Amino acid sequence: MQETVASDAAGSRTKFSSRPGGERHALLATGWRVRDWPAAWLLIAPVLILFGIAVVFPLIETIRLSFFDIKGLGRPKYVGLGNYVKLFTDPAFRNTLSTTLIFTLSTTAISVGLGWLLAMLSAFSPRHTLPFRVMIFAAFGISEAVAGYMWIGILRPDSGGLLNAVIGLFQPGFAQPWLGDPRTGLWVLIVAASWGGVGLPLMLCFAAVQAIPKSLFEAAYIDGATHGQVMRNIMMPLSMPGVRVSIFINLLGALRAFDIIYILTGGGPVRSTETVGYFMYRESMTQFKLGYGAAATVILLVAVLFVSIPAIIQRTAGAR
Amino acid sequence: MNMQKSRPGFRRRAVLAGVGLAALLAVVPAFAQDPSGELVILQWQGGTDGEMWLKLEADFVAKNPGVTTRELVITAQGDARGGIRTALIGGEKVDVVINTWPAFRAELADSGILRPIDDLWASAGLDSVLDQSWKDLGSTNGVTYGVNYTYGDRSAVWYKKAHLEKAGVEPPKTWDEFVASLDKLKAAGFATPIAMPGKYWAHGEWFETLLLRTGGVEASNALARHEIKWTDDIVKTTLKKYAELLKAGCCGTPEQMFAGDWDYSADQIFTADAANYLLIGMWMNSRARNDYKLNEGVDYSIFQFPALGLGHDDTSSVDAKEVLATTNGANPSAADAFLVYMVSADAAKILAGYGYASPSKNADPSMLGPVQQVATAAVAQSKVQFVLGDLLPGDLVDEYRVQLQKFLQDPSDATIDTVTAAIEAKAQELY
Repeated sequence: MQETVASDAAGSRTKFSSRPGGERHALLATGWRVRDWPAAWLLIAPVLILFGIAVVFPLIETIRLSFFDIKGLGRPKYVGLGNYVKLFTDPAFRNTLSTTLIFTLSTTAISVGLGWLLAMLSAFSPRHTLPFRVMIFAAFGISEAVAGYMWIGILRPDSGGLLNAVIGLFQPGFAQPWLGDPRTGLWVLIVAASWGGVGLPLMLCFAAVQAIPKSLFEAAYIDGATHGQVMRNIMMPLSMPGVRVSIFINLLGALRAFDIIYILTGGGPVRSTETVGYFMYRESMTQFKLGYGAAATVILLVAVLFVSIPAIIQRTAGAR
Repeated sequence: MNMQKSRPGFRRRAVLAGVGLAALLAVVPAFAQDPSGELVILQWQGGTDGEMWLKLEADFVAKNPGVTTRELVITAQGDARGGIRTALIGGEKVDVVINTWPAFRAELADSGILRPIDDLWASAGLDSVLDQSWKDLGSTNGVTYGVNYTYGDRSAVWYKKAHLEKAGVEPPKTWDEFVASLDKLKAAGFATPIAMPGKYWAHGEWFETLLLRTGGVEASNALARHEIKWTDDIVKTTLKKYAELLKAGCCGTPEQMFAGDWDYSADQIFTADAANYLLIGMWMNSRARNDYKLNEGVDYSIFQFPALGLGHDDTSSVDAKEVLATTNGANPSAADAFLVYMVSADAAKILAGYGYASPSKNADPSMLGPVQQVATAAVAQSKVQFVLGDLLPGDLVDEYRVQLQKFLQDPSDATIDTVTAAIEAKAQELY
């Protein structure tokens, strides 16, 4: 079946490449594209309008706001690139850049790494691991806010916290303020944020492994390969497309993370868990410095584009 | 002839019309003042306070049957100002805004959102209901906007009576007694006598009352206006007093302090029996009564912040809540009626039922529970200063709270120099 699909796709490509420019000519000769333009635009218009209202307009407005100094409900004052200059001289913002980098890379590494590993292990016994996979994937469907409150229960600093209570079984009276320590707060937050992110890489990588032709496994086992060798030399390399998509999605999610930080730490203690996303919220919504917050948003947007564009180019190139 | 005949008739008609018009004019304002229609209230208080507000609104509607109320609810964790601003900028039409931040009122007034109420104040005779100090507190640049309907003592230390009895401690009156009580409480098995909520903002409460007791209302006001620097000796002396508590092992490790906000700290005292003292506002009374189901004055009480002996022990930090009328509301007459209602005896009774004190002269002090009576008496005898954190520019408050967290981590003299310099540097940018 996979071979059939692959050969179909190859056939399609051959058809187009054998007639360079032919398609364009044919279309213009029959004139269907010109005739169908109104209908095409009519069909695409609702999407374009919605996209314009929901994405393009807010984006342009955010960029415009970033050139203004707006304090509270006061009158906006044009400051050009002033907000950007101020941002990069603001120690609090510089601190958020490194925190964001650590948070983003770590949550992505943990989520994707663990998801990938679990997918590999699950692939050896798909039927028996189904409930397990469903449970892990269900965590992906839980909103960050709900997950945040669940983690508050787990990480409560007194002995009533679930984690402290479990450790307390071996060490009575144990009470560690997990989120209260500026040295460890970020790492605990990373673990909490990664928890919900494992499900998607697990499913994507598992699907990628399922797509590997069975003949490859059979050949490997006939040649005497162990499970470990099969996993290392067949499953892992051939599940890389799933890993790449997972990395891309997790990086974007981590860059934009807000809910769980807001609920668990509020960016503290001593701003040790403040990411760009949280900084943006604090400046825009707490201080109501909309221009300054918008400038931080634009920088976050650039970071997101920096991650997205190569991935999109790669995916687009792959589709061709 | 006709004219001659008509003149007396014209005069009579003119006189009658004049009398009629005068009568109509006399009656019309009475009708105009009779509020009707929908009153929209921008509401950001939840939990028991939200429940209290529903009661207040129901009582107001019962007294003004032509009015219906609708709450535009803002949900916020901590500071609700962002949500209020967003709602107002977003074009929400509300008649009444509840506010507790004087600096925020100034911001709303500057942007033309608030309706001055000096005329209402005069016509409703509010001078006979609220003291001039409350009118001043509700004013910005000499214009009255807010009707203060409740206030609270922010220099009260909350405790559970059984804890102090167990440790053989009397509510301390002086600083030395207070510091000495920490050891007794620790000996009685309470590892962290003071529940210090260092997660967001509540660790500033100790600094603010200590500042009042060190430098007086004048110093606190001057600091709020940046007429003295944050590196001033008064600030450093205040922090050194604060450090005495920390060095006496009042509050556990910095990590423990940073792990919880005020509500978690309250739980540590009133439900977990793990800590003893909490310096926090009077909303604690409502929580203790309604959430913890404790008996006010029997299970728990307060004592006024201990005397430092530096000449300013007659000072207290206070907060207040006010109702503001907006310019964009569709129902100004109902808004005015509601503002006046909020300082009525009936409103004060509902407030008292939830453990809140009213500044209104219509309020019956005997309605207050024993803890509120202690608090109101203490405030009445004090020179009061509004909560410092609510008077500072937003950016500075943020920096001040983060730097105080750094101080909690290491309350040494060197850190005091560093943190005061950092706050001062931020203040220099903003004033």
